[in-house]
Amino acid sequence: MCKELKLKNKDENLYIPEKARIVEIKTFTEKEKFFKLELVSQKSLGHVPGQFVQLSILGIGEAPISISSPPSSDHFFDLCVRAVGNVTNKLHTLKVGDEIFIRGPFGHGFDDQILAKMQGKHLLFIAGGIGYVPLRSLINKVLKSPQKYQKISILYGCKTPKERMYQDELTKIKAMGSNIEFLETVDHADTDWTGNQGVITTLIPKVKFDPAKTIAVIVGPPIMYKFVLISLMEKDIPKKNIYMSLERRMKCGVGKCGHCQMDGVYVCQEGPVFNYEDVYQKEEVL
Amino acid sequence: MSLNSSLKIDKKILLENLEKTIQKYDLIALKKKGENYLYDYIQKSKEIIFKYHPTVLSPKKFFFPKEEVLFEYTADGEVTPKSETKPTILFGIRPCDVNGIHILNEAFAESKGDPNYLAKKENSLVIGLDCEKLCDENAFCYRVKSQNSTKGADLFLHDLGLEFALTIITDKGKKFAQEYLQSSPGSEQALTKYQAAKKKSFSLVAPFRDLDKLPEIFSKNQNHVIWKEKGSKCLSCGSCIMVCPTCYCFDVADEFALNLQKGERLRRWDACMLSSFAEVAGGENFRDKAENRLKHRLNRKFNYLMKKHGQAVCVGCGRCVRACLADINPKLIVKVLTGEQE
Repeated sequence: MCKELKLKNKDENLYIPEKARIVEIKTFTEKEKFFKLELVSQKSLGHVPGQFVQLSILGIGEAPISISSPPSSDHFFDLCVRAVGNVTNKLHTLKVGDEIFIRGPFGHGFDDQILAKMQGKHLLFIAGGIGYVPLRSLINKVLKSPQKYQKISILYGCKTPKERMYQDELTKIKAMGSNIEFLETVDHADTDWTGNQGVITTLIPKVKFDPAKTIAVIVGPPIMYKFVLISLMEKDIPKKNIYMSLERRMKCGVGKCGHCQMDGVYVCQEGPVFNYEDVYQKEEVL
Repeated sequence: MSLNSSLKIDKKILLENLEKTIQKYDLIALKKKGENYLYDYIQKSKEIIFKYHPTVLSPKKFFFPKEEVLFEYTADGEVTPKSETKPTILFGIRPCDVNGIHILNEAFAESKGDPNYLAKKENSLVIGLDCEKLCDENAFCYRVKSQNSTKGADLFLHDLGLEFALTIITDKGKKFAQEYLQSSPGSEQALTKYQAAKKKSFSLVAPFRDLDKLPEIFSKNQNHVIWKEKGSKCLSCGSCIMVCPTCYCFDVADEFALNLQKGERLRRWDACMLSSFAEVAGGENFRDKAENRLKHRLNRKFNYLMKKHGQAVCVGCGRCVRACLADINPKLIVKVLTGEQE
């Protein structure tokens, strides 16, 4: 009498995750680890910058995580994960070779249309803390062909020097020179810190840009957006030239579970990457 | 009305035929359990209650149960999708709930489609039953024009006393009627008379003023004082959502068996009125005030999802009004926003 679900293969069932293997782990900070993963199927994840996956550990649960690597044709991808909940804390205990599960990629990221709009422009990346993680996917993509852009400025702010991630990579970016500039700051310096000190908005006046020819991309905690947006508005960057990526606790990733809904918008469908012009009048954005 | 509307079926024959279906189908209908009325599994057709008494939960629980397994897994990482469904008949579903089923059908079929819901839906048949009058003072189906909804049902019945007028809504319903129901041509007149009586009993009540413009009205009134006023009374208990025929938010959780060799990924009803609903891992809560949660829920019903479905996503069943401990009534909130007098 019972009828099994009519599905030819698992791909048709949007809740069934696929296996991924951890191939490399780096410890960035006390709370953040880097994971290089491969899909066991050897398929490419097929994402665009700014998208996310649902990462699951069977028996623990599932959590939405931003993809940190640029799109690639091979089957590897990077995640950088802060241990804050059940799934992420468990993930931090895993080792190279261990298997986890992935669904996705989900969401609307920096698609071809946005990337085309960025060409020839001054790109101003503003990342706060772990906000660098989703932004890295886009930054590493544009750094593959920096000549396509007038200039690339990366502003990175952390609470303390110890919370800075991807330090080796950022050192290299700093040395790339020509049209690439990298500035960083910490809210609270320690005795070894000789760099900038102050919140991230203190870096904005240090960058010279023509507001009409600049595209800003911001990712960070809600409080950071508020102040950064004020600074950018003061500098007359048009709203349509500002992109942001929003954090929500998606449970399904496919516009059904309701958790990520912001005003009428499902962040997992229309976001997490939004143009500021499209969302500035919405109440529940930040 | 449909061309098939002039079918009829004798009440006694209907009950006999329904009982025959139990060999092949799970039969669900309104029945009495203790002092309460509810939609539940029927063993003998005489258990079926034909006079409507409002139920606490809507029939949504049969397609979208409060907890269900999405897939099973083993400790070795073998994942098996799971969605066992049995052929099911939902009998005697009232227009408001029929409309609720229609809305959920659309919501779960959208984009890639929810395999678990769709499997249950596909394996079931919905037989609607008309309401001649309002069931109680809390129901407000007429306000959202769902008192005559048949979309969502496969067959629809009108109680004419000793017999029912039968309307075929879908091909699936037609097939079922041919196989099981032994209906015969009925008089168009009897149904027309029934509908005239119903129209009369609903003539004293009217739909919301500007019903079709509610999305616009809600958008304009995001800062209306009513949200604070009613929201401050809300206990954030989530009862309104548990009883709602069109709420479908869910949570996903994993459970391992005691032997640690296998486990299940479950989905459970969740509620956007609960304080932690929009909280993220770092502790930030994007909807931390009850007034904002109330506003969000009613905007889903009368604005955000209304635009998507082309009709109010509140079906006016009145269950949330009956369940609310703080006397929050969506009907009154909408009336305040539209500026309508009682």
